[in-house]
Amino acid sequence: MSGAGSNRARAVLDRIAARLLDASVGERIAIAAASMTLAILIGLLVVAFAGYDPVQFLENVAIGAFGDANALARTLKFTTLFILTGVAVAIAFRAGVFNIGVQGQFVVGGFATVIAILELAPLLPTGTTGGVLLMILGTVAGSIAGGAYGALPGILKAYGDANEIVTTIMLNFIATGAVGYLVDGPFRGEGNRAPNTARIPEYVSLPRVVFDVPDFSVVGLAVTLVVVGAIAWVLARTRFGYDMVTSGHQVAAAAFSGVNARRTVVATMTLSGMVAGVAGALFAIMIQGYYSDPAGIGTYGFDAIAVSLLAANNPLGVVPAGFLFGALDSAGSHIRINSDVPVQLIDGIIGLVVLFVAVPELFRMAAERTGLGGEN
Amino acid sequence: MNLNDRGTRLRLGAAVATVVLALAAALALGWPLADIVTVGFVERTLQAATPIALASLGGLYAEKSGVFNIGLEGFMIFGAANTGALVWLLGGASPTQADLWVAMGLAVALSIAYTVFFAVLLIRYRANQIVAGLAVWFIGLGFGPFTAVLVWGNRNSPGLVSVADVTVPGLAGVPVVGPVLFDTSPLVLLTIFVAVAAWVFLYRTRYGYWLQAAGENPKALDTAGVSVTRVRYAAVIFSGAMAGLAGAVLLAHSGSFTGTGQTMVNGRGWIGIVAYLFGNYNPLGAAAAALLFGGLDMLQIQFQTVGIQVPNRLVNLFPYAAVVVVLTVWSSTRMPSALGEPYESDD
Amino acid sequence: MAESERDDDHPVPDVRLSGITKRFGDVVANDGVDLTLEKGSVHALLGENGSGKTTLMSVLYGLYDQDDGDIYVRGDRQEFDSPRDAMDVGIGMIHQHFQLVEPMTVLQNIVLGHEPTEHGLVDIESARTDVKAITDRYGFDVDEYLDVPVRDLDVGVQQRVEIVKSLYRGAEILVLDEPTAVLTPQEVQGLFDVMAELTASGHSLVFITHKLDEALTAADEITVLRDGGVAGTVDAADATEQELARLMVGREIDFDRQPRETTIGDPVLEIADLYVSGDRGLEQVSGVDFTVREGEILGIAGVQGNGQTELVEALTGLRPVESGTVRFDGADITGTSRRDRIEKGIAYIPEDRQEEGIVMDYDLVRNSLLGFQTTEPYVERGVIDWPAVRDHAEGIVEEYDVQPPDATTRASSLSGGNQQKFVVGREIEHEPTVMVASHPTRGVDIGSIEFIHDRLLELRDAGLAVAFVSSKLEEVRTLSDRIAVMYEGEFVDVVDPEAVTEEDLGLLMTGADPESAADHPAAGSGWSDGGTPAGDRRDES
Repeated sequence: MSGAGSNRARAVLDRIAARLLDASVGERIAIAAASMTLAILIGLLVVAFAGYDPVQFLENVAIGAFGDANALARTLKFTTLFILTGVAVAIAFRAGVFNIGVQGQFVVGGFATVIAILELAPLLPTGTTGGVLLMILGTVAGSIAGGAYGALPGILKAYGDANEIVTTIMLNFIATGAVGYLVDGPFRGEGNRAPNTARIPEYVSLPRVVFDVPDFSVVGLAVTLVVVGAIAWVLARTRFGYDMVTSGHQVAAAAFSGVNARRTVVATMTLSGMVAGVAGALFAIMIQGYYSDPAGIGTYGFDAIAVSLLAANNPLGVVPAGFLFGALDSAGSHIRINSDVPVQLIDGIIGLVVLFVAVPELFRMAAERTGLGGEN
Repeated sequence: MNLNDRGTRLRLGAAVATVVLALAAALALGWPLADIVTVGFVERTLQAATPIALASLGGLYAEKSGVFNIGLEGFMIFGAANTGALVWLLGGASPTQADLWVAMGLAVALSIAYTVFFAVLLIRYRANQIVAGLAVWFIGLGFGPFTAVLVWGNRNSPGLVSVADVTVPGLAGVPVVGPVLFDTSPLVLLTIFVAVAAWVFLYRTRYGYWLQAAGENPKALDTAGVSVTRVRYAAVIFSGAMAGLAGAVLLAHSGSFTGTGQTMVNGRGWIGIVAYLFGNYNPLGAAAAALLFGGLDMLQIQFQTVGIQVPNRLVNLFPYAAVVVVLTVWSSTRMPSALGEPYESDD
Repeated sequence: MAESERDDDHPVPDVRLSGITKRFGDVVANDGVDLTLEKGSVHALLGENGSGKTTLMSVLYGLYDQDDGDIYVRGDRQEFDSPRDAMDVGIGMIHQHFQLVEPMTVLQNIVLGHEPTEHGLVDIESARTDVKAITDRYGFDVDEYLDVPVRDLDVGVQQRVEIVKSLYRGAEILVLDEPTAVLTPQEVQGLFDVMAELTASGHSLVFITHKLDEALTAADEITVLRDGGVAGTVDAADATEQELARLMVGREIDFDRQPRETTIGDPVLEIADLYVSGDRGLEQVSGVDFTVREGEILGIAGVQGNGQTELVEALTGLRPVESGTVRFDGADITGTSRRDRIEKGIAYIPEDRQEEGIVMDYDLVRNSLLGFQTTEPYVERGVIDWPAVRDHAEGIVEEYDVQPPDATTRASSLSGGNQQKFVVGREIEHEPTVMVASHPTRGVDIGSIEFIHDRLLELRDAGLAVAFVSSKLEEVRTLSDRIAVMYEGEFVDVVDPEAVTEEDLGLLMTGADPESAADHPAAGSGWSDGGTPAGDRRDES
């Protein structure tokens, strides 16, 4: 896309983001609640229409998300992923770069983490020390891989004027396909019938604190929140963050003030990819323990876009927004096992939530008409 | 197609070069070309290209008018699932051709209904087009297989019915072209017709002018006395209808519905988007790109029959990689200037 | 039924606006405005930025609904719900920002929305015939461009296309919004000739402008707006520039220069043989040489689009040069970045404050950091000290008379003049050695203009080297120690403001030589000289 067209598209997408940015925190929470409610209502209608018991369904959703310690752990597990990927998206969107490729960066990061750990494990001691070292190194590897995979479309945009929305969407598919191929062939774990890598060693895992479940550790959540805090600080208090955010508002003003637009775009995409890579690392270490065909892994990177929008691209806001999506996903897992309502319904409902998040205007207008909302 | 446009010339040149190189490589590697490029292969390529082409044409129109409909994949899933479900409802375990055609028609009608809702969200309520498009994809991935489970108790349907080939007496006897075009699925002919009609409509009718203006400078169109909103609604609804038709055609060619994994649509909606980007927003270009991608898809089968091992997954990535390269190296895909911009008429 | 006010004793005016009032929230953009457009005449609507000219015409054109007052067209009262209604009665508007579909051809653009069809397809040949009839009738020379995509055309040609488009749609009353903003003086004359041709055949024209001389030259009647109301309506034949200026501003404008008190020092900025290309790869600056010294103001005059923008961007580090050098204090800084130049002491008041100078969504505190990101104490080792930045912002707000005096105000809430004062103040706070300013008083109210001029003169007296670009001739003459006239990428001459006449300046701005023009009056008017397609001189604003 030509420079002029790019500027205009950016201005336009800015305006869309600005609409959401304009919404106060209160409005934002209201929109989130409204989206969820509406989506679930529609889900209930479909459930009823299909001949199942809607009340039961609703109960299952609640139980699935918060019913007991296991459910809560599950919710938090998904939440960490949504928060990290959401922050990755937020970084980019805030800087005016539309990184739709977080899914691909997440996949590449997670895969790199597993491979790094598998390769390095024989070189390091076993036990807790080795475990911690491997986790750190694995995460670093994942972060670097994710960052590199994010830098690629960044470079293509900065120096080749390639529209990042399209390239990142394409790169998602490329990542999924390439990693799928690698996991199916060259990196398939020995003796595995399914296309999976080997498992990472048992001692490479996060401690079970508070919750005694195999796939969630509060440490993971803590790491996530630290990342959120760090990113929020960078955006608000550093020159780099200021330059990035200013570029997201008005590129011309950023250039005027001495910001090197190209480098900022690449840096933004790299940072975004790095955070996505950390999400991938967390997924690999805490949740899955090996790497499998990415086509089967959840669409965290895509949902993250809705999460970030809901949070007005604010890293701190991503925490509650991520929690919302985490709860829904958890409910879905529960329903898959404990109810005969086809689990695809939850996928459909999540889709509806995402859809309604995309239309804040709908709720604003409804609010005006019913006298609930603001004065615009 | 404007040959004066450097971008188009480059693309054409690149395509020709690729084909020539591929042929040369094939010869060098000793691949039995005659066994690979058979009439059957061409027929199957055309069939494989049809759903991609239809979805692509729809998406092209939407984007040309200034609205990015990236939910094509979702609409295709609905198209396929609905066609399957309707065929079953109409004809039970052994539906007829008539059932199939009726089902396809109804599925398209349903698609139009969904798309109207989508268009309202996008245009009137100024939804974020990217997120809304992704949402449709998720909704499709959810509700498509959900429908299957409701109807058949399983994400996959049992065998239903595929569309019967149509033979044009006389013309079918023409060597090479005959069996390919005149003894084949009627949906192929339909698609060719739609592609040509889409081109004529876009570049030679007043509505086509309006469409182009709506995407480039909606203000100009508005002051010319034409409702930008109506043009955009029409374009978006057309894109949803086409995607739904694409899904229906996919089912009609395959004969059953597969709802596992990414569903039988398996990314064809996304390839449709790639196709019109590749084709530089020209309907004929998009159709040609769809043909290319359909060919690649079928090529894998050919390779298998002659015993050549090519990693499926990697070959599947070609369209995506190609677009990235094209956008970077040539950067001459001119997106409509007003793309994504909600238009507020000052009425 | 529409009310009619036909009166057989007096020819009915084409348009009569009566008591038009239009409010936007608290702001009264038009306050009981009356305007009469006689058939076959040209009426100029004159006023400063913000006087309500565009709003008034938007009401006439159907874009806005007036809050009070009536519109009569040919004696019948009209109510417009949309521009289409206005078009239906024959009112056509030529906007300042053209409404053309860039990838489509001239012919397609002209007939858009009214395409002749045959068997469902557009009958392009029939369109061609119809359009040619119009262009021949009024002497527009666009025939050779009918099949050229609009994006490849020169701004002057694009404007002609806009006008032909209106005529094709049956406009009899044309409203032109600042039509000469993007034209060279030569093209302006051509436009005026076309306007004369149109009025001779019964069309009526309103043209919005803020240029006094044009109003006097081209119009039959002039209505001056000030602060939303009519300051006066005069016959062009009887009026003078002074009178118009006084009506526009409400008081006498002092066109006199200030005597200078300090001497000019050493060269600070030396530009040699500079070649710069524009966004589309075409050469915009073609071999420019000049020097700016300490304590001197160099004014760069010229019609917008002659390379001034690119020149300024090259000076400030926002655009790379093709060849040539920029030296600062003796050192070659040609390849250095914008940030480098900021740190060296080259401050810049940009042309488009709302795009470049400030971030509209930021408050003034955040805006004050713009350009100071590597300046201590605001940023130390990459970390921002926001309390220090806040002090910085509050200082600027106070010293440069920014209203409202609250640094937490969002920039978008400020008026243009206050935004500009903030930008000027912030740039001066760099304590620079060189100040580059591009159209520093564009879109700014009179009070703020004076404030900014005084600050620039202060800078000069303090020994800074100041280079500024402006298309306001009075401003250039008042402030500059030397005036460089830029035309088609070159400095055609550098003159002494006290010696040169405004006429000569105008001639220089068209690339003509005042000496020879004195002997040979301007060669024929009319549009048949043709704009150059994809010309190397376009308005890139």
